[in-house]
Amino acid sequence: MVTMTPASASLDASAHADSGGLPDFTTEAYKDAYSRINAIVIEGEQEAHDNYIAIGGLLPDQADELSKLARMELKHMKGFTACANNLGVTADMAFAKEFFAPLHGNFQKALAEGKVTTCLLIQAILIEAFAISAYHIYIPVADPFARKITEGVVKDEYTHLNYGQEWLKANLETVRDELEQANRENLPLVRKMLAQVSGDAAVLHMEQEDLMADFLSSYQEALLDVGFTGREIAKMAAAALVG
Amino acid sequence: MFGLIGHSTSFEEARRTARSLGYEEYADGDLDMWCAAPPQLVERVEVTSPTGKTIQGAYIDSVFVPEMLRRFKTAKRKVLKAMELAQKNKIDISALGGFTSIIFEDMNLLREQRVSAVELDWQRFTTGNTHTAWVICQQVVTNTARLGIDLAKARVAVVGATGDIGSAVCRWLQRHGIEELLLVARRPQPLADLQQSLGEGRILSLEEALPEADVVVWVASLPQGLEIDTASLRDPCLMIDGGYPKNLDSKAAAPGVHVLKGGIVEFWQDIGWQMMEVAEMANPQRQMFACFAEAMLLDFEAIHTNFSWGRNNITLEGMDQIGQASVRHGFRPLELFASDHPETALTPA
Repeated sequence: MVTMTPASASLDASAHADSGGLPDFTTEAYKDAYSRINAIVIEGEQEAHDNYIAIGGLLPDQADELSKLARMELKHMKGFTACANNLGVTADMAFAKEFFAPLHGNFQKALAEGKVTTCLLIQAILIEAFAISAYHIYIPVADPFARKITEGVVKDEYTHLNYGQEWLKANLETVRDELEQANRENLPLVRKMLAQVSGDAAVLHMEQEDLMADFLSSYQEALLDVGFTGREIAKMAAAALVG
Repeated sequence: MFGLIGHSTSFEEARRTARSLGYEEYADGDLDMWCAAPPQLVERVEVTSPTGKTIQGAYIDSVFVPEMLRRFKTAKRKVLKAMELAQKNKIDISALGGFTSIIFEDMNLLREQRVSAVELDWQRFTTGNTHTAWVICQQVVTNTARLGIDLAKARVAVVGATGDIGSAVCRWLQRHGIEELLLVARRPQPLADLQQSLGEGRILSLEEALPEADVVVWVASLPQGLEIDTASLRDPCLMIDGGYPKNLDSKAAAPGVHVLKGGIVEFWQDIGWQMMEVAEMANPQRQMFACFAEAMLLDFEAIHTNFSWGRNNITLEGMDQIGQASVRHGFRPLELFASDHPETALTPA
């Protein structure tokens, strides 16, 4: 509303423009960090593929649709593998497997118990919302090759997020309690996982707070669409922020 | 549909509000948590003008608090994300309130049109500055009359004269006719440019201008540590506090000095919303920032465009247009309190 601010709180954009352009993709430090972040992405796409096929087992009438989504995830995985090759980086898959272990464990447990809602929350909402936000934050600081690949992937991921939303929305009244429970058990994992790689992400010029904020926006938006109110979501999201 | 994008006046206030609105978990969270929290569409309202026209609107809390001003990336993201949320909710015209328009302008967010997947449509947003400038000018006219100051013979100091609102106020007062404009701002070159474009006005430092001014229009936030030598001020002296935040009354309290919160309007009837309580309005059911009211006016008038946008683009025609709409739809600029005027005071001491 006013245009002059006190000198002490001056918002001098020029001095604080985004920490300056692109990172140097050729340094060892970049490649080292990239070997873990890239591995997480590859493993994430592989898990997504396996998870959608598995959910198809619980929802036989949707199996065709789900296997279509699963195939897309494999295509993404190949794209991200090419990104690593392009930079001359070998993805640290052992790290990524361990990174995903808790979420993987929760998914497998829910699958064994036939809990479709929990499975969808973990894969189609949590992981997809996180992937979309992370890819969006990554695109402006990616190398040109990876940028192109990632831009293509993001478009697909929205379809996946939407798939989970639609199913949960249609079944909200019967799945509400399970969804809240699944949220409590899994959302805090996302924060822990993020904290674990915040150093590596920073080397790629991706900041933890940006990642978290963007993830929460996507997550909130998905849950609003499913039919939760802003207050309910704030309560649910708080599990990630203060849990 | 109109939108208001705002924020709490402090972190403590924000936590209290969160609790009162049922966001208990946020109320207990620390500042880091608030930095990562997404904007919230917290309230939907329906507003009816004296013309009978009814419009719908929404209040979006950007979940920004002034304590985040030094976290530049956070501040920037808060504003853009709130705008993204407004757009996703298909709000036709949203006003940027409080620090959000300051952040937008000072951090040059026009360069940041893409937020994640969303391309922001600038047509859907207004700074609300045209209405704010018009309201401040009305406050000068009405309240000088109440204080017995003859505006035609008055010197008016505009502090922050080169800003978007300040320069508009200068042009409007020049057209209205006053004795002399005293131009105060931090940077010399824009001041010289303004003086040249006006063809009049005297450039002074704040210390030089204050003792000469019958009216002081503040449209800059106060420099920290500012001390006003109230003994040197004229009596009477009308001070319009049009900056943000509004804290002039504590700095310039003296007999004969009348401080009025600038750029605030009062609606003709209660609105039935909770959100202006957050902005610490004296009558939160009716009072609001003029910039917010601009979004309502544009919606009432079905002018769905960024009416106030960019720096120093406010025209006198635009001010006249929004001013007429303001009157038509039941807004009235805030006036000096009745208690300032013994003849109108209702209760004896």
